[in-house]
Amino acid sequence: MSNFYNMPKLPTENSPKVEIFVDDKAVMVPGDTNLLEALKAVGIETPHVCYHPYLPVSGNCRQCLVEQEGPRGRMLVIACYTPVAPGMKIYTPASSARVKNARKATQEFMLVNHPLDCPICDKAGECTLQENYMEAGQNESRMRPEYGKNYHGNPAHQFIDAKGQLRGGKHVDLGPRVLLDEERCVQCDRCVRFMRTIAGSEQLQLAGRADHTYITTFPGEKLDHEYDLCVTDVCPVGAMTAKYFRFQKRVWLLSHTPTVSMDDSLGANIWLDHADGHIYRVMPRCNPEVNRSWLSNTSRLAFQNFDKNRLPAMGFHVIQEAIAEAKKNGGKVALVAGGSCTIEDLAALRMLKESLGDSAELFGGTFKKVGAPDGIAMSGDPLANRAAFKLLGIPDDNLDNLVDRCRNDVTKGAPEFKVLVTVNNDIFGEGGAAVATLEKIPTRIALTPFNDATAQKASLAFGIRHWSEVQGTMVNSLNILQKLNACPVCPDEKIRAAYDVLSELAGNKFESAFDAFKKAGEYAGVLAGLSYDTIKSTGKLLEGGNA
Amino acid sequence: MARVIRQRPMNWVERLYIFEAIRGLWTTLKHAARGLFRYEELPTISYPEGQPEVRSTYRAKHRLMLRPDGTPRCVACGMCAAACPAHCIYIEATASDDPRIEKKVKRFDIDHLTCVFCGLCVEACPVDALRMDTKEIIFEHRTRDEFVANLKTLTSWDPKDYPDDAQSQKAPGGKLNAEARKVWGMEVKN
Repeated sequence: MSNFYNMPKLPTENSPKVEIFVDDKAVMVPGDTNLLEALKAVGIETPHVCYHPYLPVSGNCRQCLVEQEGPRGRMLVIACYTPVAPGMKIYTPASSARVKNARKATQEFMLVNHPLDCPICDKAGECTLQENYMEAGQNESRMRPEYGKNYHGNPAHQFIDAKGQLRGGKHVDLGPRVLLDEERCVQCDRCVRFMRTIAGSEQLQLAGRADHTYITTFPGEKLDHEYDLCVTDVCPVGAMTAKYFRFQKRVWLLSHTPTVSMDDSLGANIWLDHADGHIYRVMPRCNPEVNRSWLSNTSRLAFQNFDKNRLPAMGFHVIQEAIAEAKKNGGKVALVAGGSCTIEDLAALRMLKESLGDSAELFGGTFKKVGAPDGIAMSGDPLANRAAFKLLGIPDDNLDNLVDRCRNDVTKGAPEFKVLVTVNNDIFGEGGAAVATLEKIPTRIALTPFNDATAQKASLAFGIRHWSEVQGTMVNSLNILQKLNACPVCPDEKIRAAYDVLSELAGNKFESAFDAFKKAGEYAGVLAGLSYDTIKSTGKLLEGGNA
Repeated sequence: MARVIRQRPMNWVERLYIFEAIRGLWTTLKHAARGLFRYEELPTISYPEGQPEVRSTYRAKHRLMLRPDGTPRCVACGMCAAACPAHCIYIEATASDDPRIEKKVKRFDIDHLTCVFCGLCVEACPVDALRMDTKEIIFEHRTRDEFVANLKTLTSWDPKDYPDDAQSQKAPGGKLNAEARKVWGMEVKN
């Protein structure tokens, strides 16, 4: 058996349409894909366990069986590895009892040694086996309780439980973030394929043979990779569980907010899973163009700090007075935008600049290191909205200019800038000692969600909403306009979004995020005429194509 | 279709009122006399001195069953909370210290002011951890918070109160505890 399988060919909008016969009915399906995806395209769901659209097809679970008319009569084939051919005749359980029975038998085999601990399993509610059981199984149990279930995991982890049954491997520590339950594992080898093909670091392996196959790491090694929490997503059962989410919440109690991760300029699509005002986990949201089904640990675990160390929204009149005074006395105002500003925030900031005229100047950028894309779900650029900075004519890389000018002014006497307004930009925290000269600016106002270094060095730190709590848009490094949705987890209702604060300072308060987006449309032609409804959940590729 | 019931006009004995009044009070007087002379035969109980007899199948206050080592049987699966129509159960889970058991309950609150005593939680429990057979039907507390039963109050029951129930006797203090503890094997800290 080779370790290397082919990636599935997924249908696209441009796929050629071919005619096949499903249950003796002619349907047009995408012609350059596998049968499972083709049937899905016409609305026929095929239960599957080992198949994943972004992983190589190994076809080991045999759950997606369909019947195909061939030269030797009707044969059972697996839908995930059968390419679509024009004129092929396919029979699904809707017409074929044989397919139905075969799937049911496969399902029964899969459940033979699978523990029935759904009540304590963290995957319960989103488990493929549960779904398949309802779809294809529903068999009467033929278990004989006197024999019990067969433990098939690592012999080193077995024990005799209180009922005298041989069990084992309930929480095998695979690495710093992932736990394995060997009893629940169905050996679909999705995690192995993920680490091998997507993560590119073959840290997980199938050991043993046949009925006694189990997942393990190499001796003395741990599962430790930037993308290792993705194995808990691809795991169809509750075998791989993330330590941070283990036992935190039953999944059916979570509400899901689709949004975009604003810590990287690829803008990985995510679900914020929240309940009773807290985010419990972050899951990747499938976007074929952007992050497929993957999410880095950095983006996934960042949520743990979203509600910590937050600033209250107090002293708005101080900002107004400082800016009014600077306007009156002719002192210059430096407006500094940071990476997690949405397009709405940037539009409001530019409007504020225009209302202040020549006495204000826009800056933007980050002192963090810009890395290289890793090809999975990170572009390496911490300035998440860099493309929108360019669209709206806001400088995205001139913080050095601000610091240099300030330093020159200080050597000559008083700094030229009287007010420094930072929006979502931890300039003091990221710049370190190099930007210490900015402390010479008499009024430093930090609009930031967190009590970070900039907020501590500011003369006024004003709390705003975090990107997970605002509605907005961003343009990612692939020039795709993506939508952020507000997750109802803001610790204080009085905290306002940055565009709201900035537009009020400019004297033209936006009533909603969409007002700000319309304003952005005035500054950037490609955004004009769009509305939030016209941006699909997977984003909208802006004119000009991929940057 | 409406039916007309004609009332018979009262005769003169009835119109005298006094005999009819005595006839109407006859049941009351009968029971009053029985209360004076043959108290035991009264069909009512003199609550609160006398308490009603409650059967074990009556859906009374909840209790959490215990393993032989004294830990609650509850595995914090949340099925009872999911089944509860009044949303009065709140559960927090954590990892168990026992390597054979995955999950244990950290917090288990039942708000008895919200509870409708339907018993769906007991039916939903997959490990027979939650029961409503305590026969406690009186809830009297000074503050609202005290009506919320927590893990401590739910597990502080005495096996002596359930002499016929084998499962209860396996808990610490029960007759079958020593035997069950041998089968259970491992000592586990709470």
